[in-house]
This record gives sequence, structure tokens and C-alpha cells, in this order.
Amino acid sequence: MKLELRNLTKKYGNFTALDRVSITFTEGVYGILGANGAGKSTMMNLLTDNIARTGGQILFNGVDILRLGPRFRRVLGYMPQQQGCYDHMTAQTFLSYMADLKAIPKRRASREIERLLTVTNLTDVRHKKLGGFSGGMKQRVLLAQALLGNPKVVILDEPTAGLDPKERIRIRNFISSMSRRRIILLATHIVSDIESISDEILMMKRGKVVGLDTPAGLLESVASKVKELPCEPYELEWMQERYKVGNVFQRYGETWIRVVGDKLPPIGEFVPDHLTLEDVYLYYLGE
Amino acid sequence: MGELFRIFSNRRLLLFLALLLAANGFLFLREQGEKDYGLDLTLPSGGVVVFDGTFSLPEETVDGNAAYGRYLEWLDRVKDLPLEEAAAELEERKEALSNRVSSDDAAEEERLDYVAVNNLLPRIGYLQGYGAYLALIQENKEKMLSFSLFNDAGSFSGRNILKTAEEFEKLEGVKLTLGADGAVEALLSFRLTDYLLLTALLLICLAFLEERKTGLWSVIHATAWGRLRLAINRAGILLLSAAWAVTLFYGADLVLGFSLYGGLGDLGRAVQSVEALGRLPALWTVGGFLIRFLLLRIAAAYFTGLLLWLLLSAVSNAKYAIVVAAGALAAEYGFYTLLPVQSVWNLLKYFNLFTYISLSDLYTNYLNIDVFGFPLGIRGISQLALLPLCLGAAAGCVAVQCRKKPAAGRDLLGRLAMGINRITDKGLTRLGLLGMELHKSLWIQKGIVIAALLIYVTGTLQYTVSVPIATAAERVARQYTALFAGEITPDTFSRMDAAQAELEEKLAAYESAKAAYEAGEMDYAQFAEYVQDSSTAKTSLEGLELVRTRAQELTTLGSEKGFTPWLLDEIPFESVYGPGAQNNQHRAATAALLALTLLLAGSMAYEGQSGMTALLHSTARGRGALLRRKLLLAAMASGFTVGVVYGRELYALATRFSASAWAAPARNLSMLPEFPLNCSVAGWLALLNAYRWFLLFCAGVITLLFSKLAGRMERAYLAATVGLLLPSLLYAYLGVGLFRPLALILPVEAVPLLLPENGAISSALLWGWAVAALGTGSGYLLFQSAGSGAKAPGRLFGRRPRWQPRYLRK
Repeated sequence: MKLELRNLTKKYGNFTALDRVSITFTEGVYGILGANGAGKSTMMNLLTDNIARTGGQILFNGVDILRLGPRFRRVLGYMPQQQGCYDHMTAQTFLSYMADLKAIPKRRASREIERLLTVTNLTDVRHKKLGGFSGGMKQRVLLAQALLGNPKVVILDEPTAGLDPKERIRIRNFISSMSRRRIILLATHIVSDIESISDEILMMKRGKVVGLDTPAGLLESVASKVKELPCEPYELEWMQERYKVGNVFQRYGETWIRVVGDKLPPIGEFVPDHLTLEDVYLYYLGE
Repeated sequence: MGELFRIFSNRRLLLFLALLLAANGFLFLREQGEKDYGLDLTLPSGGVVVFDGTFSLPEETVDGNAAYGRYLEWLDRVKDLPLEEAAAELEERKEALSNRVSSDDAAEEERLDYVAVNNLLPRIGYLQGYGAYLALIQENKEKMLSFSLFNDAGSFSGRNILKTAEEFEKLEGVKLTLGADGAVEALLSFRLTDYLLLTALLLICLAFLEERKTGLWSVIHATAWGRLRLAINRAGILLLSAAWAVTLFYGADLVLGFSLYGGLGDLGRAVQSVEALGRLPALWTVGGFLIRFLLLRIAAAYFTGLLLWLLLSAVSNAKYAIVVAAGALAAEYGFYTLLPVQSVWNLLKYFNLFTYISLSDLYTNYLNIDVFGFPLGIRGISQLALLPLCLGAAAGCVAVQCRKKPAAGRDLLGRLAMGINRITDKGLTRLGLLGMELHKSLWIQKGIVIAALLIYVTGTLQYTVSVPIATAAERVARQYTALFAGEITPDTFSRMDAAQAELEEKLAAYESAKAAYEAGEMDYAQFAEYVQDSSTAKTSLEGLELVRTRAQELTTLGSEKGFTPWLLDEIPFESVYGPGAQNNQHRAATAALLALTLLLAGSMAYEGQSGMTALLHSTARGRGALLRRKLLLAAMASGFTVGVVYGRELYALATRFSASAWAAPARNLSMLPEFPLNCSVAGWLALLNAYRWFLLFCAGVITLLFSKLAGRMERAYLAATVGLLLPSLLYAYLGVGLFRPLALILPVEAVPLLLPENGAISSALLWGWAVAALGTGSGYLLFQSAGSGAKAPGRLFGRRPRWQPRYLRK
């Protein structure tokens, strides 16, 4: 199973939201990292055929998804970034309706809804109207609908936004557990969400792919790019103007900073054993 | 000030209030017209009836508006005369007119005079009899107290009699005068304003709870002025709103009433001069009464508003609050209408919220209720109680605003709702896509209310008009048509010949009788019978000749055009579809088009407003399949609308049209000689309604496009209503001819287009093609916007359309 993007381009007037992106996704979880406006949601919308592309192709197992039409959408599960849902429907009715739209037979849909309500911890509120749901609860309902029908391609746009840490871990683990024989694209700017579950991480900046590797590979790539050094509070601004400054923390009663980049201060210690994806994010995507 | 601005800068609220006000004015005027401006418009019956009992002819009436104008002229003429003199003059005039108006050659002026005089006399009768009425109350007091059953002055009955007599005693010698009372009587009798005012107050109270829906309640509750001060401000705003609303709604009734019913008149007359206020024991003038009424109305509206606010704010969840308020209102209404007057619980009936809502009852009825054996006037109690009630309700509202915690408490109603949802979910999860579309349209978008309103409104629509029968011969012709109705065969003409011979025999008999009478061989009483018979026979011969001519015409036309000639009584058909019924047709088509628009306008916009478009488009059946279901929904909605609106039209026709006539070829109808298909009347009606359904379906598809373009529900309703209905309203009701080509009600009516003078079938076909083209174009655009690939969603003709969902906009 293969989902291939070939020179995929999207322009809004003179603004290029996605610039000739070519990439091939196979089975596994892909974390897509990028700041707001990097082109993540545009890519998602193109993959779900919710906007017209300006150029390029999206091939699913070698056939353009536009030609496949509903046949592609039958294997697609999509959770949009916006929390759009029918506020007047209950969670149960909403999921049943979405199952119908996904052409899932009633009996199978009923079983799947049960399972997904349990996984997303919504069983107790299944008969409550969505209008009365909190943001996190709506997020879980939307995730549940995306997973209905055992989709082969799952596109999740900010799936854990608005969830508390416990729910985030729960959902993250569930996504991880269902990653076999599926392509899961998970767009987020919460680094910790994808750190542990992504097979590969795609870094996007201004509509272009600036990095694609395994988390270990990415960490490896910044091994000599991170330093920690003490910094007086009055020097902090001066340092931020010259270097990409990450965390500011207290150590031995002093203020320390973490600096990432090709250009590093002459003093300080390299930290090759304590690298995180936040360093990778800052290195590749930080301004 | 800020809160006042917040509430009254809400465009949706202002729009609803403006609509309520407009509806009030429109319905007030309509009711006055329907009630014939309070006049009895019937004329004494007259004319020739040859056969008995086969059918009845419509009662003759005159135009209500013209009659009221004449009534005012007569009122002006006699109002300054002493009542006895005025009554005598009017009686004399009525007697003179009675004989004239029953004859065929009576002038319209005479008919109007008759109606005016006939309606003025009872008014004068009331004024003349008022003194006697007062005397009777005093007399009854003496009489009733003398009966052993009631003479216990310590019982409720005894006290009640004494109180009544005492209160009316002060009216002794009151001088009642004749005047134009229509405006005051209309103000008191038009109850709908009371309920529209209640709706307006409800909307204002709901605006107070806006913060609960937007999630700002906790924030506001946590601010320094978000409790007591805000509550006091709102109580003030409610008082101001009540005063404005009463002034606008009742002021509109009064202004419209005065403009309809002859101006302000003499406001210094005793209030009892208005018959509806004859049981009001107070020495007020009409003007004084109006001021008191409006002031009490404001106070009552304020109390009602406070009570609604209290009920709504006492429940945390805004939706459940509405349910609670509706339940409380329903209970009060139940007590108000269902409890018998003699009930021991009558305190609940009269000391009731609806007493304050329907305030006019306090003035038009005199009633004392039993409070521990003492009679207390319901008007007095209600007035006195208003101040403490207002203060109590205001205190309650302030307390709730201050003490009710936004994030507190068990949501018992929420649990109840979950229980109900558990049951409804069982049904809803079994529905397919079409079922869910129906659910969304009828339940979520409140289409069920529109459907119910349509059924109600069609029940009030007129589908028939009286077809004027100008002469006695025409009346007789109609009766002969009924007699000879059916396929025209040689036998039909033989039967006509036989009838003619019989009539000619009567004429011959008259000639013989005349000769005998002139020769002195017959007395006048015998001869008068022959005279009567011959007069009837002459008229009948004229009528018969009309029928024969029509039968011959149809025979010739039938042989030319190849249809079976059939003699039909066309009056029922004409009364429903004829040119005279044009206004009925306009109203029915307007109701159909409006209902359809409101049923469908939310359909596409709902997806956009809910932010669901992207999600739906990412599913296998969320594009074409879903859109096809929506089109099917439009077809069903059109079918329902045609069924309700035009089903009643067919019923109105069926109750007048003879059963055998349905099978007659349609081209026998004088309206349809050029109809190209050789079908029966029933077939023609089926085609007509299928055509209407098709055009309504096309209008439905256009509505769906409007809905898609608008993106949000309110805009969709507004755009679709304005786009589809406004040109029709401007053309049909205001006569702006410029809008005829855009008036969709014309093809929906269909019948006027089939009239020979409007181009007959070619005109109907042209309209049909035009609307079908618009509908098809709209459908095409809808499919384009839900399409894929090169015809990507939201991409029409290679340009990014403006109505793309917000999530696609950058």
C-alpha cells in the first residue's frame, strides 16, 4: 500500500501554500511537524480532495485519487482541524450517520461504534448532544468517526489539540496500536505527540518539506547542534537575538539556556545524550 | 447602557421583532377584513328559483370596505340626532331599502345603504337600552335578595349581588353617544397582539441568557458588575422594552384601527358608549380608558416579562429553560381556558398569568370571584396585585442572577434529556441517509414547525369565490345545466325540447287565462297564479336558451377538435380556478412557495454552519450521494407542499363539482378550449398539480443553491425568501408589473397562465421551461460544488467561488 505525492503544488493567488512536494508514504505512522501556515492543513485538504490542487498528483497504489473518487474515500479516515460537527446530534447518532456516509453496513457500524466509543472514553456520554460537549470531547468524537470503517489511510489534523495529558496519552497509544497495515498521517505542532509513536517525521516549512527521517535519524542529525550554557538574565535578550534559544531553565542556582543551530556560542556543553524532538523542531523549523 | 446596546444591537433579535410587528399589523388588517369590519354584510335574499332543493345559491353580500365607508357616512348623518329620532329615521330607511335590494335591478349604492342602516340600528338599540340595563341590575338586586336562597346578605351570593348593584349604581345617568367604535373594539378583540407581545418579551428575555450559550456566563459572573448591577440593569431594560413593545404593538393596532374605522372620533364620550365596554363599571371617557388600558398593559407586560426571565434564568441550561417556561405557560393556559367558571379553583383561572396576557377580558367582562365568601372584582385584584407581583418577580430575577452559579449543581434535566436521547438514538441510528436528511430538515432545522404552520395556514385560506350570477335567466341556466349535465347527445336536445314545450304550455295557459280574466270568467286570485307561472316560465325559457346555445357550441367545438361534448356546471370550477379567484390563487401559491423555501433553505447552509463540509466531502457518500438525497428531500418537500396546499384546493372543488363531471373531457370547460391534450377534467387536474409539483421542485433546487451560497442559516433563509418570494410579492400584492417575469408564484399557480388571454398553454410551457432551466442550472452548480478532481469541490468554472467553506479560505 502506497500513497504517493508527486510535485504536489497548491497556490492561493500569488501565495504558494504547498510547493512541489514529492513524497511517498507507506504503511506506518507519519508525524507531520510544522509551524502554523507551514502547509500541513493544505496537504491534508489536498489528500482528502477538499481543495483543488494547482499541480502535481496524489497516487494511491499508483492511481490518482481523483480518478478513484469514492473508492479512495472508502478507505480514508479524516479528522479535520476544525471541530465541526452537528451540535444537535448525540455522539451515538453522529457516529452512526458518519458510518452511513462511509458506506459501512449498519451491523458492522454498530459494533465499531461501540468499540470506538470505549476507546475514546465516550461511552457514558454517547446519548448527550454534541452541542453540550467540551472541546476535548468533540475532539474525541471526531477521532472516533475518522477511525470508523477500519480505514487504510488515516489523516489526523491536530488530533490531540484540547485534550488533557491523560487523554492525549490514551489517544496516542491507540493510534500507535492501530498503525499496522495502515498509513497514518498525523499533523501537529505538539512535538511530544509524535515523538513516541511516529515511524517517520516529516518537517514542513513554508510549503516545502525540509526534512523526512525516523525520529532517531532526526535526533542524530542534530547531535552536534545543541549546547547548554549558563546565561545571566540580563544577557538573555542579547543571546536570543544571535542564536536559536530553546529552553531556559535553572541549574545549580543559575539560569541556563539551550541553544540550537549551526552557529553556536563558543562556550557551553554539547548534550548528545539528551536530545529531544524539540531540538529538532527548533533546528529545522525555528526562525 | 452597554447592556441595552448589546441587546438591541443584535440584528437577529431586531429582525425577529420587526417581523413580529409586521405580522401583527398584517394579521390585524386581515382579521378586520375577514370579520367584514364588524358588519353584517348580508342582504335580504331574492331572485328566481325554479327548482327546489337541488343546490343552494350563495348568499348575496356587498364589499365590506365599501360598506364600512357607507356606515361611517350614515353614522355622521345621525350621530348628533337624539337616539329616538335617529332610530326612527333609520328604521324608515331600512324598510324602504329592504324591498329594493332584493330585486335584480337594485343599485350597488342602495345595497350599501341597506347594510349601513341595518348595522347602525343595533348600535342605537344598545345605546337606547343601556339605561334599562342599569335599571335591571338594581331591580335584580331587589328581586334576588327577596328570594330565600339568596337573601342571606352574609353569603357570597348576597354580597356579590350587593356589590354589583353598588358598582353599577354610579353609572346612573351616564350619557352614551353614538360614534365610530371600530378601532377600540378591534383593539379589544384582536387577541393575537397579546401573544405576539408575549413572543417579543420572550425573545428579549432570551437575549438576557445569551451569555449562557456563548460560554461567557462564568466570565460575566466573575466580574464586579456582573451580578447585582447587571440584574438591576436588566430589570430596567425589561421595563423599557415592555413599554416600547406595548407602544409599538398596541399603538400599531390603534393607528391601523383608527385609520380603518373613521379616525379618532370623540374620545371624550363615556366609555360605555362602546358596546364591548358596556359592563365596565367606571366613569371613564373612551380616551381615559385607552390611556389606562395601555398603562396597565405596560405593567402587565413587564410582569409577564419578569416571570419569563425568572423561569428561564432559574434553569441553567438555556434549552431546558425554554422547555420549563413553555411548560409553565401551558399549565397557566390550561387553568385559564379549561377551568369552569364555577370551579372552586377559579382563583387559578382568573388570578392567572394569562389574565395579564389577555388583558382586555378585565374590561369587557364584569366578574367577582369568591375569596373566603367575599366577592372581589377580578379587575381590581389584578390591578392591585401587579405592583407586588412585579416587585416580587424582579427581586426573584435579581436573586437568581446573583446567586445562580454558572458551573454548579446537578443537571437533572440534562439527565432526563439523555434518557430521552437514548430512546430516540435507537430510532435515529436505524435511519439511512435520506432518513437522516429528513430528521435534520424536520427536527433539527424545525421544518416540522413550518409543516404544521403550512397545514394551519392552508386551513385559513379561501379556495373559492362567489361567482356573480348577474340575471335571473343565468340562475335558471345554471339549474338547467345541472339538470342536463353529462355527455351531450341527441337525447339531451330532446329533453331540452320537452322542457321548452312544457314552458311554452305554461305561457299558452297564461294567454288563455288572460283572455278568461279579461272576459270576467276568472277572478284575480286565480289569474295571479297564471301571471306568476308565466313570469317564471319566461325566465326559464331564457335560461334554457342559454343552455341550449352552450350545448350547441360544445357540439360544434367537439366535432372540430375531436372531443366528446359534455355539458358541465362550470360555476364550481370557475369559483376555484376562474379569474375571480386570482387572489386566492396568489395566496395559495405564496404559502406554498414560502413553506417550501423555509423547509429547504437551511439544508445546505446547516452543513456549512456546522463546519461539516470538509468532513462530509472526505467520505465515500458525502458528495454526490448526499446531494442526491437532498434533491430527493426537495422533491418530497415539494410533494408535501402541493399535497397540503393544493389538496385542499381539490377538496374545495370536489365538494362543489358533481362526481360525474370529473370524467368529462377538459376541453368542455370554457377556460380550456385550447388545451392541447384530450384528457378528462380529472386528468387535467392531475397534470396541473404535477406541473405545480415540478415547478416547486425546481424552486426547491434553486433554494438549495441559495442555501449553499449563503453558508449560514440565517443568511440562507433570508436570501432564499428574498430571492424567490420578493418579486412575487411585489408583483402580486403591490402590482409592480416590472417583477412579473421574476414572479415565481405565477407558474406555481399555473392556472392563470392557462387562461386564453394570458397565452394559454404556450405561456405555461414557456414559464415551465424557464423555471426548469433555472432549477437544472442550480442542480448542476450544486453537483459541481460537491464534485471532485477537475470539477473539484467548491470550484466552479475554474474560479474559486466566494461561497467556499471558511476552512478553505486563506
